[in-house]
Amino acid sequence: MLEVRNLCKHYGGIRAVDGASFTVEKGSITALIGPNGAGKTTAFNCISRTVTPTSGEIRLDGDRIDHLRPHKVTARGLSRTFQISRNLAEMTVIENVIVQSRVDGWSGLFRPAMSAEEKDKAMSILEFLGITRIAYEDGHNLSYGQKKLMDLAALLMSDPKIILLDEPAGGVNPSLLEEIIGHIRALNEKGLTVLIVEHNMDLIMRLSHKVVVMAQGRVICSGTPDVVRQDPQVLEAYLGGILEAEAA
Amino acid sequence: MTVTLQQSTTSGVLEARRLHNEKLARKADQTRAAWFPLALMAVLVALPLLQLTGNYNYVLHMVLFTASYVAMASGWNILGGFAGYISLGHAVFFAIGGYFSGMILARFGVSTIVTAPLAGLVAAVIGYLIGMVTLKVRGPSFIISSIALLMIARILFDNWEFVGGANGVTLPVTSLPVLWAKIPYYYAMLAIAAFSVWASYRIKHSKFGLGLRAISKDEIKAESAGIDTRFYKVMAFALSAFFVGMAGAVWGEYITYLRPNIFLIMPIAVNLVLMAILGGKGTVAGPVIGAVLIVALNELFVAMMGASELNILGTGLVMALGLIFFPLGLVGTLARRGKLPRVLNWD
Repeated sequence: MLEVRNLCKHYGGIRAVDGASFTVEKGSITALIGPNGAGKTTAFNCISRTVTPTSGEIRLDGDRIDHLRPHKVTARGLSRTFQISRNLAEMTVIENVIVQSRVDGWSGLFRPAMSAEEKDKAMSILEFLGITRIAYEDGHNLSYGQKKLMDLAALLMSDPKIILLDEPAGGVNPSLLEEIIGHIRALNEKGLTVLIVEHNMDLIMRLSHKVVVMAQGRVICSGTPDVVRQDPQVLEAYLGGILEAEAA
Repeated sequence: MTVTLQQSTTSGVLEARRLHNEKLARKADQTRAAWFPLALMAVLVALPLLQLTGNYNYVLHMVLFTASYVAMASGWNILGGFAGYISLGHAVFFAIGGYFSGMILARFGVSTIVTAPLAGLVAAVIGYLIGMVTLKVRGPSFIISSIALLMIARILFDNWEFVGGANGVTLPVTSLPVLWAKIPYYYAMLAIAAFSVWASYRIKHSKFGLGLRAISKDEIKAESAGIDTRFYKVMAFALSAFFVGMAGAVWGEYITYLRPNIFLIMPIAVNLVLMAILGGKGTVAGPVIGAVLIVALNELFVAMMGASELNILGTGLVMALGLIFFPLGLVGTLARRGKLPRVLNWD
């Protein structure tokens, strides 16, 4: 469904992403992992076009999306969250969610900001995530975990085909983590394709069907969690310490 | 493939939630006083009847003058208040509107009141083109680019002989008797002001307005939320130029003179920004309150202190104090504290 080929992003002399290639199959949960500075978030930013890739191809359902502007990528059905939750302060949670719903043409531009259907839809998404009680709360009064959930809710408002989650478990407490894992799994079972960048190995190993490991801007290994776990290159680059500690 | 969420199990909860939301909406309606702007409009429409009892041209002039600033500050608010792009160059569109309609009046004798919407459109098209260039930068860089725009326009108009250069052009004086001479311009400007306030209300409550608010908070997030930020910003620029241009068109004929140092000056550009900010940028009532206050204060200080430098100092002092105690502007701050009188809640 999502195909990344020879993706490069250079910042001056720094090669943040240096020829990465991987694919995300339809209906799967794919995780992108790697040590700090491996280029995961940069790759993410290139896919969602928040930054412009230096070179390489990105295809969504066979169509190239690497030349599109970010809102067009979103309109094609690819939505993302940000590592550090970017929410719109001084706007309520429900506005934060509804802002992500699709607007078509000129007449769409000047229709009421929040139609009854959109409110219902936003509310049912908040219901699904269990945060209806904060619907009318101001975006910047939320806790960190609530912001993460709000990001997820806003994502779903645009009816995406594939969602990119940048560290959904970063900085959230263990019980909320379980909740988020549950939500991601439930969404995936409804047919949503998911690509996750994450440092939490527990989450990765439990959730993902496929793991792509990046180091120094390149993909060094990809496969099922079990395969990746045993790959010597991966163990050396990144996982070694953790798995040995787990085994002990 | 879209994500459909199971509603069957949660429909009871949703129903309760819907009722609760309706209650909230009703409550919001009760704190709003839509009758007030309408009543104010009715009073202002009836005001020229005063002329039957004596010469109240001064009163009419003050209302007309305030209305022109209401239109301009409300227009500016679409870009500066909703989208968060502070422009200090909007006097350019005041001039474009004034010169476009004024030149048609001078050459073909068509009243600017008729051509004002056209002047607004011309200003909007030029605003659209300028916006495509200057809206690529934001924050202080955008502010500086807008000041540069004003300076470039000033040099251009000072040297453009077709429109009279720095000397300007005299426009034909109306043939109405003194007592009724202001009336057509009075109603025209009032209509433009009312239209701009109504339009900014409609924009604020549309998808477009929601998108602009998102842009003012976090542009990268807005773009990734699927908002065409470039198009939204440029449209906001064009719309704000539209209202300023319309006000300029009628103003030119009203004062019967087109000259760069009437239209293209910093005080006008700054005044309309200060009005929007003092009243509360991003609110519907803010620019109106700001315009009324600043025009009234100016007039008061001129009456008290004479047209010396002191009166400017007085206005400046009130501005500074106002923003110390009302950092979001009068309407914005009061609304934040939940103390906004109902008559001022037009949002």
